[in-house]
This record gives sequence, structure tokens and C-alpha cells, in this order.
Amino acid sequence: MDFGIQNQTDEQQQANKEPSNQNGNEGNKKQTGCCAFLTVEFYTPYFNVTETDVLQRIQGTFLPLRPDFLNLIRGNPDLWGPIWINATLIFMITAIANLRQIDEEKENQSFVISYVPQATALLYIIAFGTPIVLAAVMKFLGVDLSFFQTICLYGYSMSTLLPITILCYFQNELFLWLIIAYGFANSSLFLIINLKEELDKLQIQKKYIIIGIVVTMQLSLYLFYKLVFFSYVKE
Amino acid sequence: MDYTNQKNPQNYSQMEDLKTLDLEESVSETIMRDLKMIAYKLKYVLIPKEQEDNGKELRNWDLWGPLIFCLALAMTLSFKADSTTNSSKSDVFAIIFVLIWVGAFVVTLNAQLLGGKVSFFQSVCLLGYCVFPINIEAIIIAFVGSYLPFVVKLIPVIICFAWSAYSSVGFMASLVPPHKKKLAVYPVFLFYLFLSWFSLIV
Repeated sequence: MDFGIQNQTDEQQQANKEPSNQNGNEGNKKQTGCCAFLTVEFYTPYFNVTETDVLQRIQGTFLPLRPDFLNLIRGNPDLWGPIWINATLIFMITAIANLRQIDEEKENQSFVISYVPQATALLYIIAFGTPIVLAAVMKFLGVDLSFFQTICLYGYSMSTLLPITILCYFQNELFLWLIIAYGFANSSLFLIINLKEELDKLQIQKKYIIIGIVVTMQLSLYLFYKLVFFSYVKE
Repeated sequence: MDYTNQKNPQNYSQMEDLKTLDLEESVSETIMRDLKMIAYKLKYVLIPKEQEDNGKELRNWDLWGPLIFCLALAMTLSFKADSTTNSSKSDVFAIIFVLIWVGAFVVTLNAQLLGGKVSFFQSVCLLGYCVFPINIEAIIIAFVGSYLPFVVKLIPVIICFAWSAYSSVGFMASLVPPHKKKLAVYPVFLFYLFLSWFSLIV
């Protein structure tokens, strides 16, 4: 065999190894390459849950004083929960807001449907934007929590809003403010208690920065919820 | 050459043979053939007893059917929108259109991320064809809805929603590993629920 050709094939083999590593279809292999996060395979490990796992995690959010959640998800953060809990919330907001507007006496019933894009923007920015920013801040301050664990934590904290949205059907203003306040307290406690273990390793000021970000974002979410979606009251 | 007397093709592969002579036939024949193909696929997808080969026919996916049903639904709902909602017609049209395509995209992506090995467009095609019952209920409600109380309007809505969901669930559930079936099926459910809700409300 000609040596020239053999050298070329060796180099070609080395050059071919890199793309074949990138094209590996195993769900367990992490992807290499600059745009790996744009492939489907990059995210497959984060959908490794069953329906019982998801239900268990949602149940964990309703009892914030037991900090089991982070231990539950530490090895296996999932993205299914955050995405579809928020999608369910968008549907529920539209449905409940429309049901509140039903008035049997009016001839031409008018329903608002502009809540869909508003709710989508609000929920997905807060459910995904906040944890990404928070995780970046925490990494900067030295906390050992990955992006996906924070996204998972935040996404599941939104499940507090599921029963609240259903209860927002009732017209009584005082009742609405009460349940909104309860929701805010519940989800903030949930987030803070679960982050507490990690945050205790930091100095006091850094801890309060993170707690401050969390509480502010939760407050703005719940206020927005009440004032934009459920402020219409039948006369 | 005259193709009007040809027997109707029994399956898609017979239709392939006719395609080579596309340029010589009239526009109406091309359109009729495409419409027949869409009708054939629709029957296949929506009537359960036609599916003996577990969805193999869906390998010949097309997006014309889904586009026609999506446009029909968006137009039906936006024509009625002016009198019954606070939003304008174009808002309604845009929301429905985006909801259908982004929804189908996200539901398919979800199935793929859960480990399902399916071609992306095959699944979008199926989800698009299963929007047809929602179309039917939107038209029913558009014509007779103003004379009926809310509760009576729920009946066709629930029937058509169940039909859509049942048709697509079988396919979607077969794509993913058994312990993740409900995680793949729930988004399909939510998708059709959302569309049914809109056809009820608008």
C-alpha cells in the first residue's frame, strides 16, 4: 500500500472520530461541541422520570416545611415537570378567567382570550428565566447547584398555583387575596427551605441576596397573577 | 391521456405511480388527487378499525392536511370572534394558528425527549389530522351556538374532544417506553383540551 494514502487515512480516521462522538445516540453520553445544547440528545437525560415520580415531586411542593425535595431531585432533575405544569397553568388561567365572565343574562357574551400569550410569557419567563439567572448568581457566589436542579425546583414550585387558580373562580375579593397570599408564602417557603442547606455554607450577606431575589420574583409573580388575570369582578 | 376513468388508488404507493404524469394533467385533477389522499389519510387516522398495520401508513406523512384543518379552524373561530370576544379577529386567528403548530411541535418534541423514536413530521402529521373533530365541533357551535345554553354546547365539545384524543393517544403511547406512557399522553390531552376550549368559548 502507498504510504501517502495510509497517512491520509490515519488523519481522516482521527478527524472522523470527533464527529462520531458528537453523533453518539446514547442517551447517557454527554454531547460535545459548541452547539450541543441545541440537540435533542442533550436534554434526554433530564426526562428520565415516571409518572409516579412526577406526582411524588408535586406532592412534595405542598409540604414546604419538609426539605425532602432537593434530595429527591438531586440525582435526577427533570424538565418534564416545569414545562408541563406551566402549560397546564396557562390553560387553567384561560379557562377559569372565562368561566368567571359567564353571565347568563347577557345576549352577546364576550370572553377574553388575550390571556394566552400574556400567561405564556409571564409563566415561562419566571419559571425558566428566574432559575437561570439565580443559578448564575449562585454559581458566582459559590453555591454548588446546577442549572437544571434550579429549573426543576422553580418549575415544581409553580404547582402551588394549580389549586390556587381553580379557587380563583370565586368572586370574593378578600378570599382571592387570602389565597394569593397563602400561595406566595407556600412557594417562597418551599424555595427558601430547599435552598437553605446550600445557602448555609455562605456568608450572611450573600445568603440574603439570594433569598431577596427569590422572594421578589415570587411576589411579582403572585401580584401579577392577581391584578392582571383575576381582578375582574362581576357587578 | 385521460385519467378521469381510472380506478381510485387503493393505497398511497399506487398514487406514487401517477405522480410522474403530473405535468400533463389539469390542475383540477391534481387538486382532486391531493384531496383524495387527504381524505384517505383522515379516514385512516380517525376511524380506529382501519388501522390494522399499527400506523405504518403514517410513514407517508404530509402537512397539507394539518394545514387545511388548522386554517379552517382558525378561520371559523375568527369569523365568529368579532361579536363575542373582546379581542379582534386577527388576534384569535393568530392565537389559534400559533397554538396548533407550536403545540404540535412541543408535544412531538416531548415524545422524542422521553425516549420515543419517531420521525418528527410523522407525529406532527398525526396530531394535525386529529384536529379534524375539533373543526367539526367549532362549525357546529358557530352555527347553532348562540341558541343553546352553555351546558348543551358542552355535549358536542366533549364528544369531539374524546374522539380526537382517542385517535392520537394510541399512536403516541406506542412510541415511548411503557413506564413513561402517561407522561407522553398527557400533553396530547392538554393540547386538544385547549383547542376544544377555544371552540367552545369563541
